[in-house]
Amino acid sequence: MALLVVENLSVGYQTQKGYLHAVEGVSFSLGAGKSLGFVGESGCGKTTLGMALMRLLPSNGLIREGRILFDGEDLLQKTDEEMRQVRWQGIAMIFQAAMNALNPVHRVIDQIAEAILTHNPSRDKQEAYEQTRGLFQLVGLSEDRIRDYPHQYSGGMKQRAIIAMALACKPKLIIADEPTTALDVLVQDQILEETKSLQREFGISIIYISHDISIVADLCHDIAVMYAGQLVEYGATEEVFDSPMHPYTKALLSSYPTLIGEKSRLVPIPGETPNLIHLPPGCLFCDRCTEARVSCRSNPPVWLEITPTHKVLCHQCGKHCGE
Amino acid sequence: MDHGKETILELEHIVKRYINKGSFFSTHGKDVIALNQVSIRVMRGEIFGLVGESGSGKTTAGRLIARLEEPEEGEIYLDGNEITALKGKALREFRRKVQMIFQDPYQSLNPQLSVFDAVSEPLIIHKIGNAEARKDSVWQAMRSVGLSPPDDFAHRYPHQLSGGQRQRVAIARAMILKPEFVVADEPTSMLDASISAQIFNILLEMREKFNVSFLFITHSLAAARYLCDRIAVIYRGNLVEMGPGDEVIENPKHPYTQALIDALPKFGYSGEVKRYQTLLRAEREASEYVGCPFFGRCKVARRPKCGSEKPPLKRLGGSHSVTCFYAEPGDKTGSGGKK
Repeated sequence: MALLVVENLSVGYQTQKGYLHAVEGVSFSLGAGKSLGFVGESGCGKTTLGMALMRLLPSNGLIREGRILFDGEDLLQKTDEEMRQVRWQGIAMIFQAAMNALNPVHRVIDQIAEAILTHNPSRDKQEAYEQTRGLFQLVGLSEDRIRDYPHQYSGGMKQRAIIAMALACKPKLIIADEPTTALDVLVQDQILEETKSLQREFGISIIYISHDISIVADLCHDIAVMYAGQLVEYGATEEVFDSPMHPYTKALLSSYPTLIGEKSRLVPIPGETPNLIHLPPGCLFCDRCTEARVSCRSNPPVWLEITPTHKVLCHQCGKHCGE
Repeated sequence: MDHGKETILELEHIVKRYINKGSFFSTHGKDVIALNQVSIRVMRGEIFGLVGESGSGKTTAGRLIARLEEPEEGEIYLDGNEITALKGKALREFRRKVQMIFQDPYQSLNPQLSVFDAVSEPLIIHKIGNAEARKDSVWQAMRSVGLSPPDDFAHRYPHQLSGGQRQRVAIARAMILKPEFVVADEPTSMLDASISAQIFNILLEMREKFNVSFLFITHSLAAARYLCDRIAVIYRGNLVEMGPGDEVIENPKHPYTQALIDALPKFGYSGEVKRYQTLLRAEREASEYVGCPFFGRCKVARRPKCGSEKPPLKRLGGSHSVTCFYAEPGDKTGSGGKK
């Protein structure tokens, strides 16, 4: 059975101008030990989705409908106190710019030990510190930096400390929201390598949220492409990248400069994302889509199964397949 | 491409040091050498990429060229004229010829100026044209960066624009003075991929139309490969490798460049990928200013030479040069000395 099943999740924000549809009707599932990457551009709802899974939305955020089944239990039915138990022990999150998440006035080791003790009040202090030392080793932080304060760490080291903290309570699922965006490539590569090996070693499931397709392609088993709050394409990473179906996925792929292989002219996506307060009736991408027909404008698209492990939300793709 | 007959910009042995006065309690802190003996030459009509990680000194180089700062040592020539001593009228003329596009369009535009005011401001400062002529040039500049029809955008303020539109305003503002040289400092790092592609293509178009030369500063080798004719890789203030873009990326010679390429996910390519594996996982003790700057992290370094002697920039053939004692010309594809 899948570790996490999300069904028809819709999340929005109450703003001065009206209700903003940040995430609309998103469904996916994630097996134990698997990794799923969410890619999309800024404002597509990927961070909101991560926050909603943890039920950490800001006060004007609202989960309008849907179900989040984690380990068979619906997280949306839980009380705040029950949810607190799930966070960190069931699901841990690595936030964007996580290096700023460390408290500057406490030693790093104390902060991690505190996380362990808070969630396992029965553990004694000695044990918690011992475990923290083990975690440091695990994420590749050197033993002699263990008593340092956060400001003595480099960006990459802080990020490692945050990963250590996320692992502290042995969660089943980690949600990583742009964990390496602020880091240099050499450091990013090391962190990603370590994340991969930790995942293999402990069988943790990972949801990886990023704007950088190349990282997600490198790291994740499955991939979900988001546009304007909706999933538009979802499937096994190789299938989605080798034969992208949705016009948005195709456009996104051809707007990325590559490092090797054929060098072709980048094709930007014309136009802008739709207004998320007044959603148009049809396909949300149709104004920028090169393949759109008149019917795309009025009818909302439906999911189409290309293969059992590859789905796309588009009117036109179905026609091509049928022909 | 037939750019590159005539030198437009030349940096010679540039050293830039930031003096660290230390805190209230200690008398003297450690100075930071942002650029150490850097020499580059950019041809007219060329897009020259300066690639490095954060703190490598790439932004400092851009600021020196735009004369927002001055070097400690070395000379900078634009069109054959030394620029570090320019004053008065000559400096004003220089400021017209060299423009800068900054990284963050959310901060580089004055929130109180409308798009029209922002784009026309340089003309007013340099007293070019009358109101009528200025309007024409503003309209033209806005069209050329894709802000059209200009009427729709001219009276908007920065907060009413998206990130990509703001960066276009910044480009229009830089291009309106018909500069000869533009320093573009990470112009797309704050933007989404689809928007970045628009900006890249605008820069390429500007080069085609006006034969402007660019220094494109970036942390992304992929972006540099797409946009640049030649690339220089810079590491902790030292130039480590320089050459034609494709050559440097497909056939890197410096262990640092090789490590960078190893570290990047090879997206969109299913073939066999060569791994160089030149990065030392555990950094070794090394003095920062003696020996090769990459010695501390280089797996292929040899003692004692690499740790005690600074490698000179050596030419491998064509215009590909590298600062490594042990780099050899030639390669698997055989294109090493071809260009």
